[in-house]
Amino acid sequence: MAADPKMRFLVVDDFSTMRRIVRNLLKELGFTNVDEAEDGAIALQKLQAGGFEFVVTDWNMPNMDGLTLLQTIRSTPNLKHLPVLMITAEAKKENIIAAAQAGASGYIVKPFTAGTLSEKLTKIFEKMGQG
Amino acid sequence: MTANNDSDELEALFDSIAADAGSPAPQAAPQPAPAPAPTPAPARAITDLGDSDDLQALFDSVSSEYSVAAEVPSAPAPEPPAADAGPGWPQQEAVFNRVGHMARQLHDTIRELGYDKIVEQTMSASVDAQDRLAYVANLTEQAACRVLNATDIAGPLVDDIENSAKDLGARWDKVFSNQLGVEQFKALAAETRAFFNQKLPEQTRLTRAQLTEIMMAQDFQDLTGQVIKKIVSLSQVLEQGMMGLLIEVVPEQKRTEEVNSLMNGPVISAEGRTDVVVDQKQVDDLLDSLGF
Repeated sequence: MAADPKMRFLVVDDFSTMRRIVRNLLKELGFTNVDEAEDGAIALQKLQAGGFEFVVTDWNMPNMDGLTLLQTIRSTPNLKHLPVLMITAEAKKENIIAAAQAGASGYIVKPFTAGTLSEKLTKIFEKMGQG
Repeated sequence: MTANNDSDELEALFDSIAADAGSPAPQAAPQPAPAPAPTPAPARAITDLGDSDDLQALFDSVSSEYSVAAEVPSAPAPEPPAADAGPGWPQQEAVFNRVGHMARQLHDTIRELGYDKIVEQTMSASVDAQDRLAYVANLTEQAACRVLNATDIAGPLVDDIENSAKDLGARWDKVFSNQLGVEQFKALAAETRAFFNQKLPEQTRLTRAQLTEIMMAQDFQDLTGQVIKKIVSLSQVLEQGMMGLLIEVVPEQKRTEEVNSLMNGPVISAEGRTDVVVDQKQVDDLLDSLGF
């Protein structure tokens, strides 16, 4: 993986258990610089403060859901370049299409494996390297 | 269908609603639907809405079955008599009247079908069910935390064993390639002995303790399984009772369509559904097919 291990991640999920699991998986993949947010609104505040290079977000959350967060990121000039990987239990085809159209960098359905996360991250990094 | 074992309160309530509604027929708004819900044969009420003869016949049959609804005029106008309905929202009275009919019908049907006891039981049980579900959420969260804590503790222990073994192994490689002096060899032998006699058994013991902790954290499954089974059977009873009632009393056009939302949570059963994906491969295939 060509990515910088110091890359700063923001993990957004309303369940602390899920945040912890994603954080642990990222750690196993060599990314230890991880912060957490429990919903889209808090995530946006943290992102606005700057310093983040990658967003991993759930969909269904209180206050601001993941799709709205994604749309907001894509329409905010200083954030729109951020890769956003969605990890969600929403498995309807229209969800996946809506996320893709909104500019998601990747889409993972729960339950997922460490292998899937690694694969999607690699794919996103490859695309970032090209772009 | 009459209220043979009805409560006085309900009778009084119903009478007051019916009386308040005044003379206008209980026409509820957009469609000239006949005698709202309280028909014993909803299927018949739904068909032939436009036919005034059928409407008349149906209305008469309903009126005769419900003595309390006797004030209803025998000739329902196809148009809602808005002007006569009193001040405020013109169809308000008709809606109240209709709700009154439905409440009465519901009450009668519950009694007749013997559902009242079931509903009573399930209603008191549903409060209990909320507590039970909160208990399930609590236990599963605790279990998840215990497991994550255990892996947090065991991870460094295993890493340490791995690093020590690699270090000793590399030094032994040097011994075999004659790169180590006598003193260094003695030190290595002593360290290796200590590793096997102390560090390795100690670290594996501590790791095993965490494995046991992970195993024990699964004890929630037994408890939550029991609770969930109870709630499932409870909701089945409730659903059957309520569905039976609703099918009896709710006109077909009143049944709302399934809410179409993007926040549905996990798919519990994908069987027979084409609108959902079941694994990551299908997600990837779908995105590929769309060119994302």
